[in-house]
Amino acid sequence: MKNLLYKEFKLCMQPLVVIFYVAVFMLLIPNYMYLVPFFFTGNALFNSMQVSIANSDALFTSMLPVSKHSIVKSKFMFIVCVQLIMLLLCIPVMFLNHALISAGNKAGIDACPALFLGAFLVYSVFNSTFMPIFYKTGYKTDKAFLISTIAVFAFIFVFEGIFIAAAAAQNSVPFFAWLENNVDCWPSNASLLTIQLVCALVGAAIYALATYAAYRRSCKYFDKVDV
Amino acid sequence: MDLLKVDSLCKKYDGFTLDNVSFSVEPGTIMGFIGRNGAGKTTTMKAMLNLIGRDGGSVTFEGMDYYAHETECKQDIGFIMGEFNCYTRSKLSKITDVTKRFYRNWDDEAYRKYLKRFGLDENKRVRELSAGMRVKYALALALSHNARLLVLDEPTSGLDPVSRDDLLDVLRGVIEDESRSVLFSTHIISDLEKCADNITYIINGRIYASCDIESFKARYLLVSGDLEALSKAKPHLIGHKENAFGFTGLIKAEDAEKVADCRFAPADLESIMIYVEQEA
Repeated sequence: MKNLLYKEFKLCMQPLVVIFYVAVFMLLIPNYMYLVPFFFTGNALFNSMQVSIANSDALFTSMLPVSKHSIVKSKFMFIVCVQLIMLLLCIPVMFLNHALISAGNKAGIDACPALFLGAFLVYSVFNSTFMPIFYKTGYKTDKAFLISTIAVFAFIFVFEGIFIAAAAAQNSVPFFAWLENNVDCWPSNASLLTIQLVCALVGAAIYALATYAAYRRSCKYFDKVDV
Repeated sequence: MDLLKVDSLCKKYDGFTLDNVSFSVEPGTIMGFIGRNGAGKTTTMKAMLNLIGRDGGSVTFEGMDYYAHETECKQDIGFIMGEFNCYTRSKLSKITDVTKRFYRNWDDEAYRKYLKRFGLDENKRVRELSAGMRVKYALALALSHNARLLVLDEPTSGLDPVSRDDLLDVLRGVIEDESRSVLFSTHIISDLEKCADNITYIINGRIYASCDIESFKARYLLVSGDLEALSKAKPHLIGHKENAFGFTGLIKAEDAEKVADCRFAPADLESIMIYVEQEA
């Protein structure tokens, strides 16, 4: 397994993956939809997949002593690593956001630990759409990326919309008031931090399940593809 | 025991069917896999190694069901699909560094030896290599993990005559210890006559013959004569070509005595293929 991951990072990873990590600084833009930076990880992964196709990566991997499913597994391990690195990079920038922008975020969820719930869900949507659609053919990245982009942005608008609505209607809707006071804010005490970390953990669990399900579906599709 | 046994392998495409392909490769032998372009050589090799799905059949390698023990079997198989066209912007050293991690029997000394023998510079990028050098690099990788079976799809097609001869020497060297074998497809028939022990001949997705090369050649005779002799010989000929002096054709050795006033000569593989394909 570690050899497959080594192959991905050494032969398949494109500089664009690293360049798009700069998107993490979008968390410092005042009043911005903070889930948008996570879309750019998908953009970088799309580019890496395209280059992998141009480099006949699937053919090379299939000639190594690994199973056909390992071709899919190695790509999933790679995208999970890239996505988790992005989430780790968010942590210091989140603290920086808290230090620089004290007024909160009027355009959606704050850059607080609960943001990880949304980030994990963005990645879940990307992994559940882009990867299985791509592995139906093993080469059509454009269609997979178009559909995943529509799905990711639809999710971002709904998710951020909920927090915009929560800020506007917190006095009349109890659930929105709970969101605004417990989730969409920088945690000021231990109980708030616990709630936000639980949100992040729920996101992580959904991400793990969705990614595993996407992997299984991708393997099933790729079984029918001729390398 | 056969090192490789392919049994009733089937694969259906629109307009082409690989139809119950069966053959076996014994240890210490070189098997030439011949057929026209589009006959099903590459499809057979890919289906055999699970690179494409199959619609039936089984493959046994070293007594193991290949599909059930794919990872284990691949440790002992070196596979080359023509020239190496992967990661063209990467250096050979980088690709080798990744490749060798997957093989428990990787032999760095052998790898260095083949690099030197083939004149390969590890610091070059794949795209800087000629087609022939790419084939040689693929070979160096395949030969450096002590594979018991080398499966080579058109390994000689991009090589100059000297390099081809060198490659055939390498292949002969590979099987010297009697435990390893080579299965290679080609349409450069002269290469086969230089080094193959056995051939498997595929026509339109069906195996036409799979046996040792000498007994295959002994089944046929080249026949020639004037046009008058042709009219009598025609019903017995597998295929023929007319020319200004009469005709030349191919006949089964057992039918030779049925034909009068003709000259006979031993058949070579290329002539057999040309006339058999004419019939097909």
